[in-house]
Amino acid sequence: MDLDFSPLIDSWRFIASGLGLTIVLSVAAVVCSFVLGLAVGLGRMYGPGWLRVLLVFYIDSMRAIPVFVVLVWIYFAVPIISGHSFDPFWAALIGITIHVAAYVAEVIRAGITSIRKGQTQAGLAIGMSGAQIVRKILLPQATVRMLPAFGSIVSVTIKDTAIAAVIAVPELMRQAETVAGQSYRPIEVFTTVMVIYFLLIFPVTRLIDWFYGRVAHLGRS
Amino acid sequence: MTAFARKNADKPPMLVYEDVRKRYGSFIALDGVSLHVNAGEVVCLIGPSGSGKSTLLRCTNALETIDGGEIRFEGRPLPTKDSEIRQIRQRMGMVFQSFELFPHQTALENVTIGLTTVRKMAAEEAKARALALLAKVGLADKTANYPANLSGGQQQRVAIARALAMEPHVMLFDEPTSALDPETVGEVLNVMRNLAQEGMTMIVVTHEMSFAQRVANWVVVFERGQLLEQGPPQQIFEAPTVERTRDFLGHLGWNG
Amino acid sequence: MKLDWSIVWQSRWLLFEGALVTILLTALTMLIAVPGGIVLALMRNSRLKPIALFATGFVELFRNLPLLLLVYWAFYVMPVLTGFGLPPFTTGLVALCLNVSAYNSETFRSGINSIRRGQSEAGLALGMSRLEVFRQIVLPQAWRRVLPILASTWVSLFKDTSLVSVIAVGELAHTAMQIRSQSFRVLEMLTAMAAIYWVLGYPQAKIVDWIHRKYGVRE
Repeated sequence: MDLDFSPLIDSWRFIASGLGLTIVLSVAAVVCSFVLGLAVGLGRMYGPGWLRVLLVFYIDSMRAIPVFVVLVWIYFAVPIISGHSFDPFWAALIGITIHVAAYVAEVIRAGITSIRKGQTQAGLAIGMSGAQIVRKILLPQATVRMLPAFGSIVSVTIKDTAIAAVIAVPELMRQAETVAGQSYRPIEVFTTVMVIYFLLIFPVTRLIDWFYGRVAHLGRS
Repeated sequence: MTAFARKNADKPPMLVYEDVRKRYGSFIALDGVSLHVNAGEVVCLIGPSGSGKSTLLRCTNALETIDGGEIRFEGRPLPTKDSEIRQIRQRMGMVFQSFELFPHQTALENVTIGLTTVRKMAAEEAKARALALLAKVGLADKTANYPANLSGGQQQRVAIARALAMEPHVMLFDEPTSALDPETVGEVLNVMRNLAQEGMTMIVVTHEMSFAQRVANWVVVFERGQLLEQGPPQQIFEAPTVERTRDFLGHLGWNG
Repeated sequence: MKLDWSIVWQSRWLLFEGALVTILLTALTMLIAVPGGIVLALMRNSRLKPIALFATGFVELFRNLPLLLLVYWAFYVMPVLTGFGLPPFTTGLVALCLNVSAYNSETFRSGINSIRRGQSEAGLALGMSRLEVFRQIVLPQAWRRVLPILASTWVSLFKDTSLVSVIAVGELAHTAMQIRSQSFRVLEMLTAMAAIYWVLGYPQAKIVDWIHRKYGVRE
C-alpha cells in the first residue's frame, strides 16, 4: 500500500477552511441548542398543559427522526414550501439545533427531577417563589449534575456537523470528500481527517469530564 | 389533667390548630388534631413514625395543604394565595431532618440567600447578619465551606442559621437530629436549647426524649393521626394519664 | 406549488423494503456490537496492560469520530485491507459495528463498575473463580442497569443507519432519496421519509421509556 499525502498538503488551506467552518458550526449549534433546549425543557416542566403536550410531541419526534432526515428536509423541502432557498450553513445550523435541543431538554428535565423535593421545600420554607427556586436552587445544582450528559451532547453535536456535508456545507467532512475525490487518495485523506476530528472531539469531552470531577460535589444535595 | 398554667397563656396563642384533617389517598395522616402553641413556648411533638407529627408541621407552613379544619397563625387563618403564603413562610423558620442545605453555595451564601432573594436586602447587610448568625451557632470559622465539607451537625447548624436569618416568629424543627451521628447530635441540641432560652417559639418533632423532657414547655403525644395526650413534660414523662402513652415511652426504653 | 402525493403510495413496496433493510442493519449491528461491547469492556478492565491499552484506544477512537466519516473511511479502506471489494451493506455494517461496539463497551463498563466491589469479594470468598463471579453475580445485576441504556442505543442506531445511505446501501433513507431524485417529487418524498421514520421510531422511543421505568435502578 503506497501512501501519498501530497494532495493533502497541497490542499491544506481548503481543508483548514473546512475545519474552521466545522468549529463555527459546532459552537453555534451548541449555543443555540442549549438555549432552545433550556426553554423547551422548562416549558415542558412548568408550562401550561397544551404547551407540554406540544413540547413532548416535539421531543419524542426528534428521538424518532434521524438528524440526516431533518437536515435534508430543511434544506430541500422548506424552500419548496416557503419559496426561497437557504444557505446550506443556516439549514444545517437550524436542523442540528432543532434536533439536539430535544435531547438538551430531556437532560434538563432529568437533571431537575433528580433533585430531592427537600431542596424545593427548603426554598419554600424561607419564602422563595417557585421561579426563584428554579433559578437559584434547582438549575445550578442540575447544571452540575448534567455536565456529563451535556458533555456527550456537545460531542454528538460536533459529530453531527459532519452530516452537514450531505447538504453541501463546506465543513471539514465535505472538504475531505472533495479532496479525496479529486486526488484519488481517499485513504490518506480520510485517515488524516479522522485524526483531526479525534483531536477536536476527544479533548472537549475529556475537559468536560475533568471539570465535572472538580465540581461534582456542588450538585450533591 | 391538672390545671397547669402554660407559658404566656394570658396572651393570644401564636398558632392554633382546630380539628385539622389531612389524608393521602386512603391513608389518614391527621384525624382531627386540635392544639395550640403560645408565644415563647417550646412544644415537642412525639409519637411513633407515621403518626402525623411531621405532617402537622408541614401543614403549618403550607408545604402541605389540609383537607379539613383550620390552622390560625397570629390570629388569622393560613391564606391560600401563593403570594400571601410566601409572606407567612417568611415569619416561620423550618429546619429539615435532611438539612437541605443548597450544595452549590457556601455556608455563608446559604444563610444570605433568603435575605437577598426574598427580602431583597443589600448584600453587605445580609452578609453582616449572616456572619453574626453563623457565629451564634458556633461556625464563625466555616463560613466559606461548602456543605460537602461540613459534618452533619455543622450542616444542620447552618440550616438553623439560615432559618433564623429571616427573623421568624416561630421555628419549626422536623426531626432535626434524626439523621445525625450520635457525636454531633449534642451540638445541634445545644443550639436549639439556647434558642429556647432566648424565648423563641419552637415546635419540635423529635425522638430525643431527654431534650423534650428538659427543654420543652409542652409535650404533645401523637398516635395514628390523633392526639393521645398533651401536657407539661413532667406529666407526660413521669405520670402520663393515658395508658398508650406509657406503652409508647416504655417501648422506646424510656425509664424517666 | 403543486403536490402529488401519489408517488408515495406508488413507491410503497420500495419504501417497505428500505425500512426492512434499516431494521436488518440495526438488528445485525446490535447482534455483533453487544457481545463486542462486552468483550471490549472486559478487555479494558483486564490486568494485562497491553490488552487494556488497546481496548481503551479502540473505544476512545471510535467514540470520538463522526459516524459518517467512519462510513466513508470503511468504504475506501476495507477493500484495500481485505484485498477484495465488499458490498456496501457489509461496509456499512462494519462501520456501524465499530461505532456501536465502542459505545456499548462504555455502557457495560459503567454497568459492571457500578456493582459494589463487596459483591465480587463475597463471591470470591465463597471460593468462586473470577469468571464465575462475573457470570453469576456481576452480570445478572449489571444487566438491569445496562438494559435501559442498550435500549436507547438501539434507537440511536436505528436513526444512524440513515448515514450509510451515502455509500448507496438500500436502506430507507437511500431508497427515499433515490425515488426523490428520480421522480422530482422532493417535498412529498422527503416528508414521507420523515413520516416513516417517525412511525417506526416513535414507538421504539416509547418502549425505551417503558424499559427505563421498569428497570431503572436508583439506590
